[in-house]
Amino acid sequence: MAYVAIADRDHEEHLHDPQTFITKYIWSQDHKVIAIQYSLIAIFVGVVALVLSGMMRLQLAFPDSFDFIVPADYYQFITMHGMIMVIYLLTALFLGGFGNYLIPLMVGSRDMVFPFMNMLSVWVYLLSVIILLASFFVTGGPTGAGWTLYPPQAILEGTPGATNSGTSWGILLMLVSLAVFIVAFTMGGLNYVTTVLQARCNGMTLMRMPLSVWGIFIATILGLLAFPALLVSAIMMALDSLIGTSFFMPAILEAGEQTEYGGGSPVLFQHLFWFFGHPEVYIVALPAFGLVSDILACHARKNIFGYRQMVWAIVAIGGLSFIVWAHHMYVSGMNPYFGFFFATTTLIIAVPTAIKVYNWILTLYQGNIHLRVPMLFCIGFIFTFIHGGLTGLFLGNVVVDLPLSDTYFVVGHFHMVMGVSPVLVVFAAIYHWYPKISGKMYNETLGKWHFWLTFLGTYSIYLPMHYLGILGLPRRYYSYGDTAFIPDSAQSMNVGITYAALIVAVVQILFFINMFWSTFKGKKSEPNPWGATTLEWQTEKHPPEHGNWGDSLPVVYRWAYDYSVPGEDRDFIPQNEPAAGHAEGFDPENPHDGPHHA
Amino acid sequence: MAIAVVVILLVVGSVVFHLASPWWFTPLASNWGTIDATVDITFWVTGIVFVLANLFMAWCIIKYRSKKGQKANYEPENKKLEIWLTAITTVGVAAMLAPGLIVWGQFVNVPENAMVVEAVGQQWNWNYRYPGKDGELGEVDPKLIAPENPFGISPDDPNGQDDVLVFSQEMRLPLGEPVKLLMRSKDVLHNFAVPQFRVKMDIVPGMVTYQWFQTTRTGRYEILCEELCGVGHHVMRGVVIVDTPDEYQTWLNSQSTFADTVAARNVDLDAGKMAYAPCAACHGASGEGNKLLNAPKLAGLDDRYMKRQMDNYRSGVRGGDTADILGMQMRAMVSTLPTARDVNNVIGYINTLPITSSAATISGDIERGKEIYQTCKACHGPNGEGIWVMGAPRQAKMDDWYILAQLKNFKSGLRGSHEDDWYGGQMVQMAQMLSNDQEMNDLIAYINTL
Amino acid sequence: MADDAVASTTPNDASRWGSVVNDWSRDKQTFEVPWGKAMMWIFLLSDTFIFSCFLVGYMNVRMSTTVPWPFPSEVFALSFGGDPIPLILIAIMTFILITSSGTMALAVNYGYRRDKAKTVALMAATAILGASFVGMQAFEWTKLIVDEGVRPWGNPFGAAQFGSAFFMITGFHGLHVTCGVIYLSVIANRVRRGDYDKKGNYEQVEIAGLYWHFVDLVWVFIFAFFYLW
Ligand code: HEA
Ligand code: HEA
Ligand code: CUA
Ligand SMILES: [Cu+2]
Repeated sequence: MAYVAIADRDHEEHLHDPQTFITKYIWSQDHKVIAIQYSLIAIFVGVVALVLSGMMRLQLAFPDSFDFIVPADYYQFITMHGMIMVIYLLTALFLGGFGNYLIPLMVGSRDMVFPFMNMLSVWVYLLSVIILLASFFVTGGPTGAGWTLYPPQAILEGTPGATNSGTSWGILLMLVSLAVFIVAFTMGGLNYVTTVLQARCNGMTLMRMPLSVWGIFIATILGLLAFPALLVSAIMMALDSLIGTSFFMPAILEAGEQTEYGGGSPVLFQHLFWFFGHPEVYIVALPAFGLVSDILACHARKNIFGYRQMVWAIVAIGGLSFIVWAHHMYVSGMNPYFGFFFATTTLIIAVPTAIKVYNWILTLYQGNIHLRVPMLFCIGFIFTFIHGGLTGLFLGNVVVDLPLSDTYFVVGHFHMVMGVSPVLVVFAAIYHWYPKISGKMYNETLGKWHFWLTFLGTYSIYLPMHYLGILGLPRRYYSYGDTAFIPDSAQSMNVGITYAALIVAVVQILFFINMFWSTFKGKKSEPNPWGATTLEWQTEKHPPEHGNWGDSLPVVYRWAYDYSVPGEDRDFIPQNEPAAGHAEGFDPENPHDGPHHA
Repeated sequence: MAIAVVVILLVVGSVVFHLASPWWFTPLASNWGTIDATVDITFWVTGIVFVLANLFMAWCIIKYRSKKGQKANYEPENKKLEIWLTAITTVGVAAMLAPGLIVWGQFVNVPENAMVVEAVGQQWNWNYRYPGKDGELGEVDPKLIAPENPFGISPDDPNGQDDVLVFSQEMRLPLGEPVKLLMRSKDVLHNFAVPQFRVKMDIVPGMVTYQWFQTTRTGRYEILCEELCGVGHHVMRGVVIVDTPDEYQTWLNSQSTFADTVAARNVDLDAGKMAYAPCAACHGASGEGNKLLNAPKLAGLDDRYMKRQMDNYRSGVRGGDTADILGMQMRAMVSTLPTARDVNNVIGYINTLPITSSAATISGDIERGKEIYQTCKACHGPNGEGIWVMGAPRQAKMDDWYILAQLKNFKSGLRGSHEDDWYGGQMVQMAQMLSNDQEMNDLIAYINTL
Repeated sequence: MADDAVASTTPNDASRWGSVVNDWSRDKQTFEVPWGKAMMWIFLLSDTFIFSCFLVGYMNVRMSTTVPWPFPSEVFALSFGGDPIPLILIAIMTFILITSSGTMALAVNYGYRRDKAKTVALMAATAILGASFVGMQAFEWTKLIVDEGVRPWGNPFGAAQFGSAFFMITGFHGLHVTCGVIYLSVIANRVRRGDYDKKGNYEQVEIAGLYWHFVDLVWVFIFAFFYLW
């Protein structure tokens, strides 16, 4: 089919022009400001969750030493810690933060397609965070049902946060906050997807998009299709709790008394939750995969190895992630025959993921590796991700999951793969794009200290946890009491883990100091300090202003990875640079040259 | 450069940690050696990948770190290499998955001859049911669950009459016999996990789930609940004792059946009143207690709790420690009630005594006490009335000096540290959260207001 | 790498597949539609998942419940003086909603032709039909609640989940219809004001139409699952 020209839509965009401080920085419709608002809110709640994890570790290392951590508190802490980290920190930061900042810049668009809705998204997100945090201040406190919120437990007495009389505000606020978050996410997510699909600049084909955009794009689609399951289960649970329907509630006792419930299915909730929950873990993994690919290529001065496979791997992982959910339910009491199917699909995911890992490493091979801070974080990511991914294979193989499910092995797995790897990527990305966002350079030495302590610290937190899990320590235990098979050495290990965790938590101060100090006192940065090829580094102004591109949109002539092209003096060619000799033309010999629809 | 060295060190370190780790699977006590074998295969495959991938990465970093005049190679892709890598990975995955699925097939298909046992989970303790002589478990209905019928067994089903009911946290199994464990929950999700058996399964209210295993060693193995089930999740413990078949049979015969428990409900109050006379000397004619004699109030305690304490005294689970002088006194007294029937009669009589408030003797910071009580209320009820399923006795209106003494005993381990004192063990963990006497006083001052 | 996109644009690549890849991966726009329309499609896809989850949940509780399920054709019968006619109200409601889809399609059609008056009239008709659907639903709910004693947490006919799922799902759908009515009225008003004549296209009408057809389509499924099963 021939290429049909589409009228340049530039004239149609009503870019909302910021006038005052308020419209510029508060009610801003500029995707870059929105991105920063998203990120700041996310990092703020992230720090809350980090503090909670510190308290959890204190309890685990020194049981019975802290009056302010009784069992109810502990379970409330893990619930809020898990939920905040997964949803309100990582999902929001990767999609709302990096997605907002990078998508329009990387695909060469002036803004998101619906800036007003984008602005609403961040404020609704803030609302959801406020509702969530409000649950710390209601009677009974936040819910302590675990971040999985399994009913019947979540809405019955005996669960921290559930009060014996009147409304259990903890669980209710959690459900409402999630619903509000989903609304915020949907408004943002529709924007990201539509922008990627419909608002790229001339020459920017899908297969020329940087992998960051691919990762965020597919993750957003996963979100748009997976969050509905969470929304529905939240609605059903809220009805069970408030007006006494029995969707998830069979005939049961509550605190020794018969209840009115009957006929519902607790396993239904688990199916719905994990139909959301498993894609959710890839929602936080895929953007990390994307960002890390771009940062690696840039600092290794080498094209990402196997770009096409990388794209297809992202798409395949995204697709497969919808048919593996029940690997979280191997021991849930569902029909055990499902185990065969879900174990197979789960292990199949290892193949596209493995391709990604190989390609990252092969990108380093024969590269010209600059070990700057972002690069260090990326290497740390590869290492911890391999570790965490491989432990995932234990859990995915249904019989191996039998002894390990619900033990610290699982906790080790998911922190390695989600609590460490993507967080390392977050840091890599913040350092990498910091010059673009702020116009200043960060402090390299501080950054290196931050990397070393965080990387080594987190690895020493989570490596031992796997072995405690193999020994049989169950997760979500306030304390272990006297258990014959648990030797004292396990408790000593827990103390060690706690020290590591506290150190890592404190070390994050270095990061914040670095960011703050550099914003005001940092060296001014070049417009393209890393010599990167992607469009965001080629803006007219540095940092880019509202509207991104000045008078005219960029035109893209090549893929995003023209690093160290043979015969070129520089070791990179920006995407918007026509190849020498073919100014506007298209060289059929060179697949990376020229807008192919010219 | 440093990063490459560190990656190498971490790889070596992880392998050393793996080999040297004192934390490893508990010694196997069931037939599921095949699971351990699958775990080993998985360790080998993933271990090799882990080492190779990371060492190769470290090598690349060393070899290709930026040097003056160095330029990276331009190589967008290499189809052949990618196909090879994909193929090898697929082989590796298949090598783990195939044995895994075979073993899962064994787990899913329960042997025909497996004996059936039922474990019933509830917040935060266990009960067990064995089929009686007829080999069949009786029908149950969750709506029938009540203090008199904790299993919810249908009284009309003849199969249920001879079901053996175990109210202790301890279950026994005969060595070497395949067991199909059926699992039921009265309230929320729980999980039955014995690390030494390797297998585990959630317990879902409204459903009967199962798992099967065959024991291979006699011994005492802890049962852990591994599905978050509320504030008491971590104290929900039980024990499986694997006995020789003979010992098992003897034990089984000594347990009471459903019919027995129904019969035990018909108490003879007159006989109970007579038998209570010696007790009255210390505990008072209407069970009101006597501080001077250190005898606590009895009126208001529920019958299951009292029965359990009597049994514990009798077997030495409570008061067996020579340091527990008062407990030893009570132990001696229990022998005046030789049969279970006597005990039931006395308890039946105590149940008829009026519940009055005891005089407060302890004061403290009520507000602080209320905060502390938030943990206690999960089992003892928001108003301190006690909750039968949780095995938690009444606190409100009881003797405060006695509660204080018991809290101290629990904290010091004088009470509750016997391995068969299940609920006592839970209280030991709870009492240890009270860091000093002042906190106990505050707590009790609050309980006095209930 | 970029070369497959390139390869597929070479003129001699006439394969079907080649042209699909080409369409999808061309620069600027993947679909030749306005942004708003693309976004509405994606939104509706997401919404489809919401309704699917609701319906799957409903089917699941219908199977898990221990009490027999009420007989829908009796519960939903209505009598006009004489014998109760099963499903009559619901048949009327379905008919109305399907009709409204027809009027909406016509409105979009006239929108293409820039026939302002007809477009506005047809959109208004659609909105009125939608509103009457919601009205009848309110009537049906009232009848169930007041006359027949059906509650979300229980009912005299059988499984409690019947009422729970019914009120939840039809309520959620009713909410969609209500939002749709408001949305249509707003757009119709803008058409009437001539906003889209200034802009030069009536794409907003079409986008609203997409939403409306979707809501109707969902109803067909709800109808099938609740009333016919
Ligand atoms: C970012 C998040 C993230 C990611 C990417 C993953 C990735 C994977 N996860 Fe994980 N997982 C979680 C987050 C994540 N997980 C969380 C949060 C939980 C717990 C939730 C809770 O209960 O609270 C969990 C729990 C969890 C379970 C449930 C355990 C249980 O509760 O009993 C299982 C079981 O199958 C599992 C499996 C996997 C697998 C197979 C992968 C795979 O995608 C991994 C693939 C990667 C690799 C395999 C490594 C790279 C490959 C190579 C280097 C080559 C390999 C070569 C060969 C195999 C030859 N995960
Ligand atoms: C992204 C997810 C994430 C992250 C980052 C973390 C980080 C940490 N987690 Fe957690 N955790 C979960 C997700 C996460 N966790 C989940 C889902 C659960 C399950 C809950 C449940 O069972 O219901 C859980 C449970 C859990 C447990 C098990 C509790 C139990 O089962 O009893 C423990 C115990 O040690 C623990 C510890 C820690 C520690 C010490 C840290 C950290 O302190 C380690 C160091 C972290 C960092 C170095 C990150 C630094 C910065 C930030 C997080 C915020 C700031 C951000 C920027 C500056 C960009 N977590
Ligand atoms: Cu029962 Cu956890
Ligand atoms: Cu998963």
